[in-house]
Amino acid sequence: MTSDEVLSQLRSILAGVTARPEVAAIAPETALFGPEVGLDSLTGTLLLVEVQQRFGVDVAAEDLNLDSLATLATLADFIISQITSHA
Amino acid sequence: MIKCVIWDIDNTLLAGTYLEAASQPPPPDQGLLAVARELDGRGIVHALASKNPAEAADYVARATGLPFAAAECGWGRKSEAIGRIIGDLGLAADAVAFVDDDMLERAEVAAALPEVLVLTPEDAAEAVSWPVFSPAVITAEGRRRGQMYAQRRRRQEEARAFGGSRDDFLRDAGTEVLIAPAGPADLPRLHELSVRTHQFNTGTEPVTQDRLAAALADDDQRLTAVWLRDRFGDDGLVGGALTEPGWTVSRLVMSCRALGRGVLDALLAALCQQAAAGGAAELRVPCLITDRNVPLRLALAAAGFRAPASAAAPADPGQPVLFTRRLDGPLPVLPDWATVRERP
Repeated sequence: MTSDEVLSQLRSILAGVTARPEVAAIAPETALFGPEVGLDSLTGTLLLVEVQQRFGVDVAAEDLNLDSLATLATLADFIISQITSHA
Repeated sequence: MIKCVIWDIDNTLLAGTYLEAASQPPPPDQGLLAVARELDGRGIVHALASKNPAEAADYVARATGLPFAAAECGWGRKSEAIGRIIGDLGLAADAVAFVDDDMLERAEVAAALPEVLVLTPEDAAEAVSWPVFSPAVITAEGRRRGQMYAQRRRRQEEARAFGGSRDDFLRDAGTEVLIAPAGPADLPRLHELSVRTHQFNTGTEPVTQDRLAAALADDDQRLTAVWLRDRFGDDGLVGGALTEPGWTVSRLVMSCRALGRGVLDALLAALCQQAAAGGAAELRVPCLITDRNVPLRLALAAAGFRAPASAAAPADPGQPVLFTRRLDGPLPVLPDWATVRERP
């Protein structure tokens, strides 16, 4: 799976969990906990469930600090690294 | 301990079959209705799972006068309907009982969800005397729990229809979060939260009322409580924090009812601001890592808390991981709907 494919799937997941279509157009460096996406405990949990179902990556188990949720790009990189290391 | 009873409708909560009634649907089963009312008064919430059209749930709500936290009507598997209710209410399967007169439905649910307590209507009629239906502490918040879940359903329906961001919706809903020092009257509820809460709890052991009272009596410790309300209803006391000398939050709890309403963000921001005002360089939150409290870790991450990198390896699951928030840079911002009252 390419980085662009992961980014595009994450954008659609984020737009879904936040119920805000405009989130589908965010730039890779957008902070997920910042005002544009406004990830919180509820939407963050939904995001992690979706990521686990689509990519088979359990972010909460692999990343104690949830650093991977800093930006859209860091999350995509983390997912790709996990898929590659388990391939 | 059972927190939610999911009822079948036909020949269970109703004394007959909804769709077979010629004109007027059948009345509630009076014995089970009395049981359901008693359990509601103990803070146990009710939900419906039925192979019926959605109108059946509305009829049952009107006919029984019970507040239902969730209703799943349709023709799919009962176990899947129950799974959705469990997810929607943020419950663990072993905190749920399911009552159905149909042996095949009971067998299907028991096989698919072995942790759910599966009961016949006859079992349920006696349930009020069972220990799993008898919580030791019943607080005012607990007694109103069913009502609050019903308010939550209305809030969620409006939130889904609302176009803007979460914060816009919280403002539109007239959300008010009050963060203030706890008093003696708050101790039973804070103890109850330490026992009942799993998704937002930094520990797993109950915090006893004696321990909480000791914190109140000690000027070096701070016991903070959080109240929440909006135009849909008043949730009362929904969270708390026990801060020990050295700005260490030895316990942080929040009711999962407050999920997605900015409460924990507000509490963490208020604690950081208090610690910074008290001259602390960092605020420390030791937290057990469980598979249930991921939402709490998300709130800690969102507020800028960090755990040491060395803890990233699978640590001893019985040992808390120390999350810290440095206070020398910008502090987390208190949302405009939150009010903080300092101790006098």
